Amino acid sequence: MTTKTSLLKVILLGDGGVGKSSLMNRYVTNKFDAHLFHTIGVEFLNKDLEVDGHQVTLQIWDTAGQERFRSLRTPFYRGSDCCLLTFSVDDNQSFLNLGNWKKEFIYYADVKEPEKFPFVVLGNKLDVAERQVSTEEARQWCQENGDYNYYETSAKDATNVAVAFEEAVRRVLSMEERTDHLIPTDTVKLHRKPRSAGTCCS
Amino acid sequence: MVHVYNCHPFSSQQIVQVEQEPGLVCCGGGALFVVAKGGCKVDVYNLEKEGCPLICRFATMGAVRSFHHSKIGDYLVTIEEKNSATYLRAYTNWRYQAEEKSRVGVRLLGHLLRGASMWGGVQMEIIEIPLSDRPVAVACCAVTGDLLVGCENSLILFTLRTQMQQNLHPSQQTLSSSLPKTQQNSGQSQTSNQNLFVLDFERSVILHLPKITPKQVALCAGFVAVQAELEVLVLKLEETSDAETLEEPSNISADFPEDQVDFLLIPGHQELLGDRAKDCDICVSIEKTGLEDRRHYSLSYALFRRFSPEYFQGCSVEETQLHSLQLYPMFSSNQSVSVDEPACVFCFFSLPTAGYLYSMKGGVELLSAYLYPEKVLGAVLTDHLLHVITKSALQCFTVRCAAVAARLEDPYIDTTMKACPPCSLEVCALRMQLFIGLQSLCIYGHHVVLHSTADSETPEQTGRSTPRKGRELKEHNRLAGIFLAVGIDPATSPALENLLSRPFLRKWTISSPKESSPSGHGWNLYVIDAVSPLALYQEMDEYSQSYAETNPQSHSLRHLLSEAHLLLRVAMLQMSTRQRAAEDEHSASVQTGAREGLANMEMERSELEEAFRLNCVQLGDCFSRASQKDCHLALPYYRMSGLSVTDVLARNRTLPSSPRAYGQGFLFYLKHFLLEETEHSLTQEAADEVINIINQSEPSMLVEVCCSPAMTNISPDRTLRILRHLEDTAGVSVPVTIAMATMMLRLGDLPQFKQLMERHAEMQLVYGFIEEPRLLLRGAGGSQRASVHPTALTRQMVTSHSGLLIAGMVALYENNKVQLEQADDVFKELGCQSSLQVDFWEAMLMASSCDAVIEELLFRLASVYIDRLTNSDTGSSPEHKPLKSAEDLINWSTHYGALHPWLTVLNPAHMTSSQHQVALHKLQALLCGSSFSVDSVAPLLERLSDETLWGLSLHLLCDTRRGQYGRSMEKLLDKCPQAIIAYANHQLQDKNMALWWEKLLPELCNRTRASPDNTILLAALKETLVVVAMEMSPAEFLELIPDDGTASYFLPHLLTCSQRHLLA
Repeated sequence: MTTKTSLLKVILLGDGGVGKSSLMNRYVTNKFDAHLFHTIGVEFLNKDLEVDGHQVTLQIWDTAGQERFRSLRTPFYRGSDCCLLTFSVDDNQSFLNLGNWKKEFIYYADVKEPEKFPFVVLGNKLDVAERQVSTEEARQWCQENGDYNYYETSAKDATNVAVAFEEAVRRVLSMEERTDHLIPTDTVKLHRKPRSAGTCCS
Repeated sequence: MVHVYNCHPFSSQQIVQVEQEPGLVCCGGGALFVVAKGGCKVDVYNLEKEGCPLICRFATMGAVRSFHHSKIGDYLVTIEEKNSATYLRAYTNWRYQAEEKSRVGVRLLGHLLRGASMWGGVQMEIIEIPLSDRPVAVACCAVTGDLLVGCENSLILFTLRTQMQQNLHPSQQTLSSSLPKTQQNSGQSQTSNQNLFVLDFERSVILHLPKITPKQVALCAGFVAVQAELEVLVLKLEETSDAETLEEPSNISADFPEDQVDFLLIPGHQELLGDRAKDCDICVSIEKTGLEDRRHYSLSYALFRRFSPEYFQGCSVEETQLHSLQLYPMFSSNQSVSVDEPACVFCFFSLPTAGYLYSMKGGVELLSAYLYPEKVLGAVLTDHLLHVITKSALQCFTVRCAAVAARLEDPYIDTTMKACPPCSLEVCALRMQLFIGLQSLCIYGHHVVLHSTADSETPEQTGRSTPRKGRELKEHNRLAGIFLAVGIDPATSPALENLLSRPFLRKWTISSPKESSPSGHGWNLYVIDAVSPLALYQEMDEYSQSYAETNPQSHSLRHLLSEAHLLLRVAMLQMSTRQRAAEDEHSASVQTGAREGLANMEMERSELEEAFRLNCVQLGDCFSRASQKDCHLALPYYRMSGLSVTDVLARNRTLPSSPRAYGQGFLFYLKHFLLEETEHSLTQEAADEVINIINQSEPSMLVEVCCSPAMTNISPDRTLRILRHLEDTAGVSVPVTIAMATMMLRLGDLPQFKQLMERHAEMQLVYGFIEEPRLLLRGAGGSQRASVHPTALTRQMVTSHSGLLIAGMVALYENNKVQLEQADDVFKELGCQSSLQVDFWEAMLMASSCDAVIEELLFRLASVYIDRLTNSDTGSSPEHKPLKSAEDLINWSTHYGALHPWLTVLNPAHMTSSQHQVALHKLQALLCGSSFSVDSVAPLLERLSDETLWGLSLHLLCDTRRGQYGRSMEKLLDKCPQAIIAYANHQLQDKNMALWWEKLLPELCNRTRASPDNTILLAALKETLVVVAMEMSPAEFLELIPDDGTASYFLPHLLTCSQRHLLA
């Protein structure tokens, strides 16, 4: 319990069917289910991890991508530390919609300085043979929109999934350090005799 | 003085194996919720299983600042913080979060579309409740599951909504319906195929309180409590159908007069109960926000209490802050928890130095004030105990909730039937349990959960190195200090000295799997098991034995037994609640386990009832020996104990060595028992003992006691001796003489009996009966419905003193000691319905002045007389001679009239029997009297033939009473013409005079014409002419003379008429 534990809220946004829930499931439970149902509303999972010596509880928020669930998901954008904009490389429309997602997020999350907010862009379904969005197109969009990190992932093959989430954490942590805006959940007082077996994080 | 009893409220402790230092702890629904310090995770442990295993663990969305579990709905509500924002959230279906990695659904309040749970297994769901103000405190209603949120200057009430959702995966059908509350209770074991209950909340009312800043809130059955630093306000929010009542309560302006504006006012101490609380300066306005429902609310003030900061010494002003606000419901044993409003609601709050318990229903009142020996950090009220923690100890105080509940449930309490210790009985402290560095406590059922952390300033306490001896000494000193603090010097009381010298954990068992775990870190989470109220009762009972032996009259014994009594009442209340719950379960699913459970409960119940009876015996004993003002309580307690009088006698028998005086309470009990009409009669032995006791303690009551139905087996010669002695000392009195005569009768000594009865004049004896009606009648003087029976004396008097008996009965009736129906029963029982009873009625007619009774009696008597006339052979026993003759009645009673003279012509000189004749004369006298209504007996009279002369006489009397003179005269002329002139002379007077010439004269003329030789008719005609001639003018007279008449016959009368007229 000597380390600081931060609760970081990371939200997954993107069109319905691009694989947001699969990415979260792959990352947290390391499983993949090809026949997942549509997400209704909002769900989340917690994952404890250590990034660069920081103990972090990552709270991953999975949202319903379909338009009809809009009113159910938007109230929960507030308080996010990082936003993962997700599209599917085999679906050009989902890529074209990234801008809309970004706008929706910034609007509902009530982000004070949108240009400084950490977005990470994920191109999922790398495993699919017929791509509609090229890596270059995607990188270019990231470049033009605020120099976002871009990862091509496959929830099915577990490609780049952990790397992407860890990158999100790094982005947040670096932001925090810069702005000294870390909201610690660690009001824990340090004990004189720290416990040897710190099994606080399972 | 605070009593401290050496009782052990706790039996064992466990240590919960938490991994991280607990920050917040709360419990409910059989579970213990722990948030690690600063963490965003809730660990849930099972309190009902040995070792408190982990049930599940789930993540929260922010850092929990405060949380609360609701039994109804089984949800956990939290106030959380994230990024400097505060959120209010409710966690539902948390029991399904066994696997920490399962996804958690999140939705906004009111956005209840299709629960994600429909997709597959049940999913934990978080309901985000958006608020415009920052939430400060939350509370849940234990009855409805509604949620109350305290914000900066407002309270927001959310009503719990439950919807059933059928989990018909994969067809995805949704079915919603509202449900009874019973089924909302923690549904721990729903499988995925069952119907699910989806919770939601509806914002229904906002209360604006601009002048108070809530620190804690509480909600229970419509009562809303809010606590600020030094103020508590309780409001009652009621649903009404009427829109009109939504007016805002009168907002009392708390503006100070202008000249005071510049001063800083420190509010003084204030307590306002019930309606008066509206005079407090805190105004409340109500804003209805429920969109869907059409309900309206009315608001009233129930309680206001304000403390001034300097009110308590020994506690710094900063420390003087209220805490532990609680509203606590209690259901009576015949209430259904799911349907009814709780019978009682209690409100508790505490300062560091004192706690206050109020009863909110049936008139708001302060039940108890608890003065703590040390600064108290937290307190929790339960059914039978108030648990408080100080920095270093867990202590219990008794509470009076059961006394309030008992009174609301049973209206017979505080009568001579039932009793219960008063709500104002001083509270007492039980022995305390020492701990180190207590932080907080919470309670679920009989589990008391304590969170302790070692004081970092005194690290040596955390270690186990402290020698045990030194520790014990410390405990000893600490406890002794507490005794001194509450005004008891243990050195002066050997019992307390003994208590202090005994090891503390008499029944204490520690089942900690890892004995070393407390030493590893400075914090601990203990689960202390409290003993059941019954077990605590048993210990108190044991404890009382020693008191009873050494000082049976002591106030402490009574207090201890009263405490024990209330514990039993709590146990019985809890039992009924459990039983009803089990019955519901049983009816829902026919399981053998449930049936066994019910059988076990039945056993427990009988054990409880036995203990209750025993306790009532002890309390009865306690009060029976007392001679103070409460001694009358012996009666109800003995009654509730079910002891027989003989048992009570035996318990109160004085020892030969002790001064021979019986306790006031016992005498009160005994007298009450003897004065009561009871079926239970004592054995001769017991009855003699009772007579002895009364003779010793209250000889003036001897006669009364002798008359008690319980005393029928009393030995007559002993009693006679006692009564004689009474006569010698207190002088002769009529009741004593009659009582002695009764005893003589019992001995079979009739001469002596008669002699005693002759000692006083009949009138005096009658007064004696009025003084003590029970000499004549068992049950007399009781209620109008009570059954009354004749005594042996009465039976004897039927033959020997019938006149006195009738006089006595009439006197009792006139003095309201017996009702007419009761008297009827008595005569029936005596077998003298048609003899003495008739005498009684006749005598009553002479005495009574009540019209309704007179009418009734007249009818009854007329019926009896008619009966006797028609059935000459049945009638009364031939040997019975009526007490009153017809002449007596005519002379003495206004209701019997003098017999009309014409009746003598009709009445035969001799009839079949003298009885018959008496009956005829009495009936005739009734018909001649003015009170009797002929119509009432007309149907009965029709049974009588008018063939006989006496029968005719009765019919004539009736007709005449009805004014049918013409008809009567015709009948008479037909059947008994010799009586016609007597009849006409008596009846045809004044306004009926005209009938002489209008009816009688023409009638006679016609009849004589038909039978010219009938001398009787001719004589009658002559008499009639004499009368007519006297009354009429000659011209009129001439008109009346029949055309065919012989002139010579009428001429003398015409002459008389003319002469008289000339003279006039």
